[in-house]
Amino acid sequence: MGNILVVDDAAFMRMMIKDILQKGGHTVVGEAGDGSEAITKYKELHPDLVTMDITMPVMEGTEAVRQIKAAYPKAKIIMCSAMGQQGMVVQAIQAGALDFIVKPFQADRVLESVERALK
Amino acid sequence: MSSQEGVRDLVNSAVESLSQVIPRVTQIYPPKAFQQTETQIEMSVLIGITGEVSGRIVLEGESPAFSKLGEAMFGMPLEGEMLHSCVGEIANMIAGKTSSILFQKGHKIDITPPTVVVGKFQMFGFEKGISVLVHIADVGEVNMILLLQQ
Repeated sequence: MGNILVVDDAAFMRMMIKDILQKGGHTVVGEAGDGSEAITKYKELHPDLVTMDITMPVMEGTEAVRQIKAAYPKAKIIMCSAMGQQGMVVQAIQAGALDFIVKPFQADRVLESVERALK
Repeated sequence: MSSQEGVRDLVNSAVESLSQVIPRVTQIYPPKAFQQTETQIEMSVLIGITGEVSGRIVLEGESPAFSKLGEAMFGMPLEGEMLHSCVGEIANMIAGKTSSILFQKGHKIDITPPTVVVGKFQMFGFEKGISVLVHIADVGEVNMILLLQQ
């Protein structure tokens, strides 16, 4: 079970992911609505894992992954995005993300990815 | 890609995306020209498209239809700000899937975060508009408009 930071610009999607994670026995320690806020919250909360959207205002998710990984190389981040094309996935993995979940997603797919990343 | 080819592929990809993202789609009506500048429906979401084709994807519908759609997709009835956020996310998923389908066809577009508008509004600055009406079982009708700048 892990302490997780949920990053998505849509409040609804944060609520959905939080619900899935809590039902799976995890604790959501914080939420952020853009990449810049995610970096600030990561430094403050040191979560075990981050779920990260890509298309967000202020700073997109892939850039936030780069900056978090540069400061905290052991950070565990999985992407949750509606942008599922190969180029996006490759960029996110190259930036340091462990997995890429395409929206709309099933709860099982999220929990399976989170639990694998936390092992 | 040529602008004509780009428009055709964008329309086809957006229609394919609609049927993949939205459950229980019973009918997708043939695309038709969108010429009016004022939306006729109370809630809309705008997502910008940049890249090989530029423009906007607009998803419009009545609040009760979007509320039922949110319930059909995510298992809970929604209202107020959470409904607006949900509608933005549904449009985001449609636009994201559209960009993925276009990518498989060899075209690259990016999308912007969604903007949700409540109330009728006027749209300007597009050269071509195409609308696709979708009927969804137990939900009603939702209209997708593609506004293109060539």
